[in-house]
Amino acid sequence: MSFLNSYIYYIGAFGLILIGLYIILVKYNLIKVIIGLGILDTGVNLFLISVGYITKGTAPIFSGPGVDSEHMVDPVPQALVLTAIVIGVAVLALALSLAIRLYQHYETLNLRKIREQKW
Amino acid sequence: MVNPVLLIAVPLGLAFAIPLFNLFWKATAKYIPLVALAFNLVVSLLLLTQVFENPVIVSIGGWRPPFGINLVAGPVGVLFSAIIALVGLLVSVYALDYIKEGPTEKYHMLYLLLLTGATGVVLTGDIFNLFVFFEILCISSYALVAYLRDKAGIESAVKYLIQGAVGSSLLLIGIGLLYGLFGTLNMADIAQNIKSISPISVFVPMVLIITGLGVEAAIFPLNAWLPDAHSSAPSSISAILSGIAIEVGLYAVARVIFTIFGASSIFLFLALLGILTLLVGEMCAFSQNNIKRMLAYSSIGQIGLILFALAIATSYGVTGGLFQLVSHTLSKALLFLAVGYMIHQTGSLQISALEGMGKKMPLTCLAFTIGAFSLVGLPPFIGFPSKFLVVRAALATKETYFCVLIGLALLGTVIEGAYFFRVVQVLYFYPVRYEKSSNGVKGEKPNPRRKEAPIIALISMFIFVALIVIIGIYPKLVTDVLSSAASELLNRLDYVRNVLG
Repeated sequence: MSFLNSYIYYIGAFGLILIGLYIILVKYNLIKVIIGLGILDTGVNLFLISVGYITKGTAPIFSGPGVDSEHMVDPVPQALVLTAIVIGVAVLALALSLAIRLYQHYETLNLRKIREQKW
Repeated sequence: MVNPVLLIAVPLGLAFAIPLFNLFWKATAKYIPLVALAFNLVVSLLLLTQVFENPVIVSIGGWRPPFGINLVAGPVGVLFSAIIALVGLLVSVYALDYIKEGPTEKYHMLYLLLLTGATGVVLTGDIFNLFVFFEILCISSYALVAYLRDKAGIESAVKYLIQGAVGSSLLLIGIGLLYGLFGTLNMADIAQNIKSISPISVFVPMVLIITGLGVEAAIFPLNAWLPDAHSSAPSSISAILSGIAIEVGLYAVARVIFTIFGASSIFLFLALLGILTLLVGEMCAFSQNNIKRMLAYSSIGQIGLILFALAIATSYGVTGGLFQLVSHTLSKALLFLAVGYMIHQTGSLQISALEGMGKKMPLTCLAFTIGAFSLVGLPPFIGFPSKFLVVRAALATKETYFCVLIGLALLGTVIEGAYFFRVVQVLYFYPVRYEKSSNGVKGEKPNPRRKEAPIIALISMFIFVALIVIIGIYPKLVTDVLSSAASELLNRLDYVRNVLG
């Protein structure tokens, strides 16, 4: 059980990453692929947070008696995740707007049927 | 002394000022990229003379590395930012006339953001910052590929976006693992401590990062997006994507392999990948009927050659690789710019539609021919000294492995010659196409109407031509800069010492 306790966040993060990759690789519907990208992003963000996490740690901006720096979580990954979330939102928004345009052109979102460009 | 931060701050600020300018003075919006990139070019050239002796390290916010984000304006960074500014400036001159339809102010804003991202990637010394700038570059290029909003553009942009997003997620996982291992994001600090961790645990982040960056650099198994995206974007964007975006990806791969990981054990594998990329690209290009697709595949081929040259990892090899990179940037940008107006004229992307164009648009075709000859590697154009340097570097290693691979690379060059000469033949040696009269019967006379590209586009193309010829005749102009850039890439200890002091 102690193994599970200390690695639960990593297991969750890589589970999300693999689910996201699976959806992107297997699904034909563009909206589902975009959802897959979202799940992949979430997994990566959770992974970054868990890199800097300490069990029962506090946020690094709290200070006062009884709170020392050893029990604070690492602030750097949190800053990274903040940036990564913003980037992820931008990519997903662009992807959705492209999906709307794609639907206007092809009247379908099935990626199997959209194959004008090929090798 | 000029501060290298301006190279990023000025274009970034001006990019977001474009919508504001567009609100009040509609006509000025398209000149802002010109101003920003001319500024960048001047600053880069000023810095280029200084950074030979010691690179300029800027710690942002006054936090000394490894605690804060820092910019490293070494020979490599400044060389790349000068190339980006130069090519960007010339292409934005071309775009003054070329981009007329659609929301033009958004085009110019995204264009400037793309180049800002590229400049940021080459100057930064922090690996997460590299990721952020890469995303700026990628997101603006996804949007620009779809700029025309036609069927092909949207479809390619969706493909590019999905593959690019997966690639950047892999890159981010790799960066997270590195942070977990070393507790720092500074490239020099990671490079310094890389030996203290067992090679097997460093291997996983390295593979993830190289795969992530390889999507953007279009290394062989990861290049499926490239021909679509480059062929359906507007031609000025194709020139930037082919000339700058994938080169910046390659720069990032080289920086990660050489400086951060110092991974000499995977050079042989990368050389093999480079040659595979080259052969696949050239063979696909040979079988294309669509001219922009042919150029896009030819970019894949050239990327392969550059990767191979970098993977030789001797001083000559890296110099040759960087030289080939410069030569590909200039020649391929020129080719796409020339093709842009030819397509405008004929309204078709097929190579067969270009028959007799040499008589209709002599100057544009001359520019195209020079670009094609330079890419194939004929003297006296820039492609000759660069390819020569690569071949010489491969032979100088005296290893059978590299000698066999360079033989295959030269085979690829022969294929390249075959398809480029075919296009040049179509341009000049086929009779002018008969114009169809209204009832569908072939008209009596060929249509001899000469219609050149507009003068402003010709100016930008012929500056490219002049650069290609001048550097081709006198390669010494750039080889000094290139070899000091190569030594920066190869001597990772100097890099670490310069940054951390």
